Amino acid sequence: MFDLLIQGFAAVLSLQIFMLMVAGVAVGIVFGAVPGLTAVMAIALCLPMTYGLGPAAGISLLIALFVGATSGGLISAILLKIPGTPSSIATTFDGAPMMEKGEGAKALGVGIVFSFLGTIASIAALAFIAPSLAKVALSFGPHEYFAIAVFSLTLIATLSSGSMAKGIFAGVLGFAVSTVGIAPVDATTRFTFGQVELNAGFSILTVLVGMFAVAEIIKVAETSRSQAAGVAPVIVKIKGFGFSMAEFLGQIPNAIRSALIGISIGILPGIGAGTSNIIAYIAAKKRSKTPEQFGKGTIEGVVASETANNAGIGGAMIPLLTLGIPGDAVTAIMLGGLMIHGIQPGPMLFLTQAPLVYTIFAALIVSAFLMLVLEFWCLRIFIRLLAIPKHILLPVILVLCAVGAFGLASRVFDIWTILAFGILGFGFVKAGIPTAPFIIGFILGPMAETSFRRGLQLSRGDYTGFLTNPISGTFLGLAVVSILWQTYSEIRASQRKAAAGLLKLGDET
Amino acid sequence: MRLKDVIVGGAMTAAGILYLRMGNALPDRDGVDAATVPGVLAWMMIALGAIELAGALRRPALAGEARSSDAGGALTVGLTLALIAGFIAALRPLGFPIATALYLFLQFLVLTPRSGRPPVPLYAGLAVGSAAFIFATFRYGFDLLLPAGPLVAWLN
Repeated sequence: MFDLLIQGFAAVLSLQIFMLMVAGVAVGIVFGAVPGLTAVMAIALCLPMTYGLGPAAGISLLIALFVGATSGGLISAILLKIPGTPSSIATTFDGAPMMEKGEGAKALGVGIVFSFLGTIASIAALAFIAPSLAKVALSFGPHEYFAIAVFSLTLIATLSSGSMAKGIFAGVLGFAVSTVGIAPVDATTRFTFGQVELNAGFSILTVLVGMFAVAEIIKVAETSRSQAAGVAPVIVKIKGFGFSMAEFLGQIPNAIRSALIGISIGILPGIGAGTSNIIAYIAAKKRSKTPEQFGKGTIEGVVASETANNAGIGGAMIPLLTLGIPGDAVTAIMLGGLMIHGIQPGPMLFLTQAPLVYTIFAALIVSAFLMLVLEFWCLRIFIRLLAIPKHILLPVILVLCAVGAFGLASRVFDIWTILAFGILGFGFVKAGIPTAPFIIGFILGPMAETSFRRGLQLSRGDYTGFLTNPISGTFLGLAVVSILWQTYSEIRASQRKAAAGLLKLGDET
Repeated sequence: MRLKDVIVGGAMTAAGILYLRMGNALPDRDGVDAATVPGVLAWMMIALGAIELAGALRRPALAGEARSSDAGGALTVGLTLALIAGFIAALRPLGFPIATALYLFLQFLVLTPRSGRPPVPLYAGLAVGSAAFIFATFRYGFDLLLPAGPLVAWLN
């Protein structure tokens, strides 16, 4: 095995492939950082460039783009409060408040280092436990997927700061928006109003860009005229990655838990880093000694999100390489890239093309290091971006969002969609409705509905099939416990608030 | 009664009712069909809206609630939305470079803080330069065929 790995490194570290990978990681970071441009788009647009390259060089370039783009999302999530990719949604929850507190460099440093560690952890999982993990994931059927989706949906309430009703409503509305298009199983067309463009439903990219980027631009528009001109943010000098060794060591348990979540979710087809970062964030909040600090700017939130999303890289590669099953859009394009270069992923790949498999492992490791070095080197440049006034920067970002939306299917319709979701996102801000549950509902909704209906078909209309299946039953039980626990916590919190209010009134009289 | 929360609760309930009506219009089939999940979601939205509405009606009004609106901010938001909509509408007829340059220039002007004088030549240069750079990068660097509009003959 180690001989093969050394061979892989020898191939990847040849000058041509190494330079390609440097360029790939750099382009990937830019695609990840710019809202509207994603890893999927970076790989799709660069795929034709790999046709003339050999298999090792072509695949290494695609992997470099994947790693760079997954990590790059943290930059805009922290600096602009706009997640560059769905995998960085939870990074905005604490990264942006840290930025507002003047700790932007620290948030970026934490994000970069734990992105790197998440990637390395997932590569280790890919190299050592890939085949057995893939077998477990493959045994999951609609019952299990439905139960996992329901359990994840019940966690929405944890993200509902302020009013639980508003948070759950946002999740339900996200689920409702995901029902637009052709229904699963019976292919009935729903809520399309005769628009052919809506048959496939809304793309996650247009929803995300609208709800975060366009809504942020409208929000800035509301106050920009009344702000003082030429006020540049204070740029603090950064030492190293901007955080201490004690802070780093204190985050190790959080990082391990988040990496495990990222790898586990990454393995499951259909749920990618877009979900794992939010689930890891919720888990970190629940396990934290200071959960009240979440959402106000704590490094725990950034660590959880960034470790989990990058851990999804190796996780998503496990079913891709061992079974030939792409887990999400990025790995689907990667599968295409592998096949173009004459590689047929599947159980036989490790036997028939072992040197190439280890070249892929080596490319992943080298890309992770390149990502760390390039982002560390560019950390100071990212911070300098803040010197550009928002009234100049945000319109340019909106144009890039429009390019990203157009690039999905070369349709102006998708750009109209981001505007519509931008208005909805702005409405959420004004109404005090949290956006994150909406995104979770939108992502998990189709999985829940499709698995529910397929599961019912499998058990011939018998609902108890969801309870008698051990994995499904366990997750549904956990979902019930989660709902009961959150309701109890909410009632206790409101009682405490009421008691505090009474005490205050007593003091005044 | 807290007016803003009442409006939000009312909007939540209305969204649920609208979604329920749309769901009811879907074709009926035996057992679980395409309308089942939307129906459940709609009732959940209505229930959550009612809970929010009931809570808002019980909560005492905030002092100065009515005075919190900012007409200047609303105007800028309206202009920004109009500019974005205009930009999208102009993409096909004018092409990406021209539509983008116009949008950026006007958007810079609209968002410039009142306290400063807008540097018009700088804004014009930035708008044209950014539009050209983005167009060239994606069209020639990544083969993404952004609409070129009247420039198509010249570009080909």
